[in-house]
Amino acid sequence: MIGTLVVARRELSGLFMAPFTWIVLLVVLFINGLLFSSFIYQTQGNVTASLSESMTGPSFWLWMIFLPALLSMRLVAEESRSGTLEYLLTAPVSDAAVVVGKFLAATGFLALLWSSTLIYAVTLDYAGGPPDWSAVIGTWFGTILVSGLFVAIGMLASTLTSTPLLAAFLSMVSCLMWLAIPFLASSVMAYLVPLLTSTAAEQAALVGRMGSVVASMDALRHFSRSFQMGVLDTAEIIFFLTWISFFLFLTARSIEARRWRG
Amino acid sequence: MIEVAHLTRRYGSLLAVDDLSFEVGRGEVVGFLGPNGAGKTTTIRILAGYLAATKAERLVVAGHDVQRDSMGVRRSIGYLPESVPLYPELRVEEMMRFQGRLHRMERQVMRRRIPEVLERVGVQDRGKQLVGTLSRGLKQRVGLAVALLPDPEVLVLDEPTSGLDPIQRGEVRDLIHSLADDRTVLLSSHILAEVESVAPRVIILHEGRKVADGKPAELAASLGGGGHVAVEVMGAASAEDMATLIGSLPGVDSVATGDRVGIHQSFQVRGEGDLREDIGALAMTQTWALRELSWQRPTLEQLFTRLVTGRGLEDLDGPASSGAAAAPSPMLEAEPVDLPAAAPVLAAGLELSSGPAESSAPPLGTPGNAGSKIIYSLNPFDRGASRDLSKPVSVDAPPEAVSGEPEPSDGDGDGESAS
Repeated sequence: MIGTLVVARRELSGLFMAPFTWIVLLVVLFINGLLFSSFIYQTQGNVTASLSESMTGPSFWLWMIFLPALLSMRLVAEESRSGTLEYLLTAPVSDAAVVVGKFLAATGFLALLWSSTLIYAVTLDYAGGPPDWSAVIGTWFGTILVSGLFVAIGMLASTLTSTPLLAAFLSMVSCLMWLAIPFLASSVMAYLVPLLTSTAAEQAALVGRMGSVVASMDALRHFSRSFQMGVLDTAEIIFFLTWISFFLFLTARSIEARRWRG
Repeated sequence: MIEVAHLTRRYGSLLAVDDLSFEVGRGEVVGFLGPNGAGKTTTIRILAGYLAATKAERLVVAGHDVQRDSMGVRRSIGYLPESVPLYPELRVEEMMRFQGRLHRMERQVMRRRIPEVLERVGVQDRGKQLVGTLSRGLKQRVGLAVALLPDPEVLVLDEPTSGLDPIQRGEVRDLIHSLADDRTVLLSSHILAEVESVAPRVIILHEGRKVADGKPAELAASLGGGGHVAVEVMGAASAEDMATLIGSLPGVDSVATGDRVGIHQSFQVRGEGDLREDIGALAMTQTWALRELSWQRPTLEQLFTRLVTGRGLEDLDGPASSGAAAAPSPMLEAEPVDLPAAAPVLAAGLELSSGPAESSAPPLGTPGNAGSKIIYSLNPFDRGASRDLSKPVSVDAPPEAVSGEPEPSDGDGDGESAS
């Protein structure tokens, strides 16, 4: 536990020592600010809708594909390349502590990034346009969980290669695929279901089953279904935490496998 | 402190460490020696807990089983990998504090210990500098400081002097020397002189196997019949005659005639014990002008090549005995005069896994271990009429025949024209 926090603290301080971080912060905050003001104009001053749009709109998902990949590529792949991974993995902390520590740092950074929207909300509240605070906070909480999921996917990709660029690319593609699962699944189902079934009832049952499998991986829908409404549904929280734990577990195993592969 | 028994490690089909066993006692400094790819780094990484062993009967470091209690091992060793991994974006003090936190050190202890350790490695004034801006030598020191911070019982250093310039190498060597007083140190190197100067005991690895284990001097003595005496003299006699004279000294096994530099002729004399005094006395009686009379110990480099290639040590002497100013080719061509060549003898107490352990003969060759010293009569033709040291040396006039007889024609002429 202490080891996790020590690793997370070092990761964060290392992050804020790097110019990369500040450039990312500058660019993302600048573009988000511009987008936010355009949302305000589009919704004719609907504060809650603009805040929600800037945390859940297409721009958010675009950032979510790039930023976790860029952050997580340095977590393992870059350390492996520079040799510091050897230092970390021979220090008296467990592999799990290293993985979770790094995960917390990267997710914490993204949480900080998305908290800029909270600053907009506070400012607007003072300026006389009070937002729906529960929806804003719920959405922000949801963005953290989505960030966590994508960081976990990115970390797994990061352990598979010691080329940071390849790790980032793998991570972006996997995140994109993850988001695209519902769309891909529906087109695949349209082809497969008629081949596998004969009667309409069977067809409906199969579509239902597959639909529930796909739904259990559909991050977009889980995100928008509750957090955006300002509801902290434990089922949705558990959905994200389960997938995060799954990918972190695979990451830890993958690091363990390095000890055998050499 | 370190016990390794039957350690094997494979990378796929590649056998990196092959049934390696060794032990390092408390307070010992042991050098791992071997060419690149001999399995040094793999063994060290397994001991540090970075890699897993494919098979090992026993792997214990500082009382902890490496395979079962990796955390215990990691807490009690200071490990410095070859690449000296430090976070370039941190300052030296931050890096040290990170290490301290990883080792669960108390804040007060850390505050006291960090300046102490930085001073010990000589970088006390660099605490605020970014690690990324340090030079290679300073980085090495900071790496050592990081490894030393938790005051580990065992220090494992992988190639601690690689990539440093000669002055930095010397500094790091001295540092390791000073650290070795109260710690067990295992270090690796492919530079033989480095290990020789730091570690009283070396383990030579080749293709994952232990080829030799012992003190460098013992290894040298066992593998090549010790060293030889390099002689360079100027005399009226021809080279062959001088060689015959030297060869006639009691205890001399072989005399190799080296090349002639100007008017000076060099020889390599092998034999039992330290022959320098006898040769010096001979030179005096013959009125030869001595230019060099030195003991040449075979270096680990030669030993190593011998172990790895299986070639005789004599073949390798030429290039490496640098003091004798002898070019290698004539030395190799020159036939030892009439005497059997020194046979390699295994020293007692030396472990050699490559050859049969038929050792019984006493170690040869190192100066000072030839038992009670007898000085022979200065007349080389007395054939071993000896006397002991307590009586004064009798300086007999050399027989006329010896110094006058050989025609110095060609040798002398060459010498003068060359000089």
